[in-house]
Amino acid sequence: MEVTLLVQAADDAYRILENARGQAVELLNTATKLTSDTRWMEEKKIEAVLMGAQKKKSSLQNFVVTFLMLFAFWALLSGKFDSFHLSLGVVCSFVVALLGHDLLFANVRVGDIRVIVQRFLAYLPWHVYQIVVANFHVAYLALSPKMPISPKIMRFKTKLESDISWVTLANSITLTPGTITIDIEEGEFVVHALSEKLADDLNTGEMEDRIAHVFMEADHIYIQDVLDVARIFAEFR
Amino acid sequence: MIIRGEDIIIKTISRVLVPFIQLYALYVIMHGHYSPGGGFQGGVILGASMVLLFITHGYAEVNRKFSENIAVLFSSIGVLIYSGIGFLCLLLLGNYLDYSKLYKILSVDPAHARSLGILGVEIGVGFAVMAVMFSIFFDISTGGVSPDDEEEAE
Repeated sequence: MEVTLLVQAADDAYRILENARGQAVELLNTATKLTSDTRWMEEKKIEAVLMGAQKKKSSLQNFVVTFLMLFAFWALLSGKFDSFHLSLGVVCSFVVALLGHDLLFANVRVGDIRVIVQRFLAYLPWHVYQIVVANFHVAYLALSPKMPISPKIMRFKTKLESDISWVTLANSITLTPGTITIDIEEGEFVVHALSEKLADDLNTGEMEDRIAHVFMEADHIYIQDVLDVARIFAEFR
Repeated sequence: MIIRGEDIIIKTISRVLVPFIQLYALYVIMHGHYSPGGGFQGGVILGASMVLLFITHGYAEVNRKFSENIAVLFSSIGVLIYSGIGFLCLLLLGNYLDYSKLYKILSVDPAHARSLGILGVEIGVGFAVMAVMFSIFFDISTGGVSPDDEEEAE
């Protein structure tokens, strides 16, 4: 008798607990949903405000940078620095910049242009070194009697995001002797490589990493970033 | 009509190059009286830059920047500048396009007036050639019917 009661009581207690748990879970879910909803809305609002400001600012900044670059180009071409020709240059650069300020810097985020130019200039020596190395390799392939080539077409998905970085990568690959970019199909590169070594070099993805670093894309760790952070950590210590 | 191309390399490179081509065209026009080049050559380069944009970015993008109506307007303005300067010289008791007579209204010596007059004529020729080149290409590529009209007809 007592045992039956005990079992029943335990059963009841279990059911009550289960109910309470269910309710609690439901409550928590609703709360999470509500907070996430409000958070989503707020994030949306902030994003809209930021995007609006960013668009305005980036449009003006693009215009100014385009104008300056075009004017420098004009001065380079013209070579006449009297006030008449310079004012002609200002007018012409202004008109062209007005027509085409969304062409030169499409898909570039605010404040990034200077950093991108700096990093791109830092990227160039490495790329020239790669070209020299690949040159020697291709010369070796051409000169050795066995001609150890194994031409092949490889495809790889890139993690780069914008058209300008795709094009930089594609042209870097084409500029490197022995490899040619045939096509870009929606983020998938089709590359022709002359030998196994060249294909392997490309597959390590160092070039892609460096270009991602130049254009500040693809959220992963780059060698250069690690070095930057390491210096900060060292200072903290 | 030309279909919007999907080759991203060509598209991006032409996007970056077009402003520089246009500036180079204006340089050729503006320095026509000092160095090789002039209104016609510069106008053709300018028209070619628009054609490049048309080929790589398609009808909609170019129509937003430089529609066919504006091209027609520009070609007329170019001819107007050219003939206007010519007739201005007639009014100032010179021959047609006798630039040196322009010194009376420009308050500079005749030689300088001649240089400025040539520059003005070059600009007129450049405008007209650019607009006509673009307009010819526009007509050939769309078959004389603009896509907007086609959509309305459908």
